[in-house]
Amino acid sequence: MYEPSIIGFLCNWCSYRGADTAGMARMKYPPNVKIIRVPCSGRISPELVLRTFREGADGVMVLGCHIGDCHYSTGNHRTAKRMPVLKKLLEYTGIDPERLVINWVSAAEGEKFSIVIKDFTEKIRALPPFVETMK
Amino acid sequence: MTDRLTSLHEAIEQVFPQVEGVLALKRGPAGIAAPYLFSPEHPEELELLVLWPKEPVPDTLKIIQRAHTDSKLAIVCRGCEERGIVEMFKHSQLKWDNITLIGLECTQEEAEFCRCAKPFTIHATNTVGDSIQGVPDPLTDKIAAMSLEEKRAFWMEEFEHCIKCYGCRNICPQCFCNICTLEDEKWVETGRLPLPNPSMYHMIRAMHMTAKCVACRECEETCPAGIPMAVQFRLIARDVQEMFFYETGAKLDQKPPQLLVLEEGEYQRTGLPH
Repeated sequence: MYEPSIIGFLCNWCSYRGADTAGMARMKYPPNVKIIRVPCSGRISPELVLRTFREGADGVMVLGCHIGDCHYSTGNHRTAKRMPVLKKLLEYTGIDPERLVINWVSAAEGEKFSIVIKDFTEKIRALPPFVETMK
Repeated sequence: MTDRLTSLHEAIEQVFPQVEGVLALKRGPAGIAAPYLFSPEHPEELELLVLWPKEPVPDTLKIIQRAHTDSKLAIVCRGCEERGIVEMFKHSQLKWDNITLIGLECTQEEAEFCRCAKPFTIHATNTVGDSIQGVPDPLTDKIAAMSLEEKRAFWMEEFEHCIKCYGCRNICPQCFCNICTLEDEKWVETGRLPLPNPSMYHMIRAMHMTAKCVACRECEETCPAGIPMAVQFRLIARDVQEMFFYETGAKLDQKPPQLLVLEEGEYQRTGLPH
């Protein structure tokens, strides 16, 4: 069985703090996710996600604040608009859209954070390695 | 065909007194069609007017408007070109007030050639020819019905033919950024062939065509490798219509979703968790 490598883009104000909360509560989650802290989930352009796949990631997570809670008021609205379209594009190009996940995790939701990561890692583990599918 | 040419001739002569020039297609010395600004001072030039093959006229309109800001121009446009003008206006590339639209309705043949769903004009006040219904797009439907593996194989094969000439970007009436992501080493391996998988070039372009593509199919027409890339744009356009109720080039006052802040309840349609 292969260990999938997953990149998680976490918004500094909510999801990254959510990861902290999960850590402080000693919650367990798989170590496959490499976390990259970004100022806002709206920073994650489609190019960035595609490049992450190009570099060999098996899955990409974009976690941000809940709609309405954004530190920059409408930053995550950008995520909410562009990521569903990117998922569709992945599907139309023949890449499993399940490899990209978007979710909202607030600073208090440590448990949700660990569940989201656990579920996603399991889902990705069931898929073949991304690089293999592209040959 | 000839009938439409004669009536277009008349329509142009009718608007000549009100404008400084009419942008339409002219037969060049080698027999090819090219955008040309017909002047009211030389009505005899209208003898060289042609209808087909279509060329992206909105881009030429933009260039002329940039050089002569207050010029009053008329433009002969098909449905797709009209949508292009509307979208360019929404993105502040054109001035809408100084343009007179002369709509040129496509024939059944032309619509089928373009697999066009909307071969008619909406905003043009004077139109030439009879407007027809849209035709189905068998290629897009076929690809949409494929499985993930089939789609991947199909596009990998198609993108393998790409020679990265950037022709699709250059001809696109909606590609007007001064600094293009497709020229950025960070995202696209410029000047390297064959394209790696997944192709960043084509996926980024498809992403940037979201809610912008007016389905004029100029990119497919110009592609030396014959890649049916507009299929991806059209599939995404269907989703954008479902998610954001946005139809490119339809309403002048409807903001593109890129510029919108989603209201409560709107982002649920995109299928995201709440």
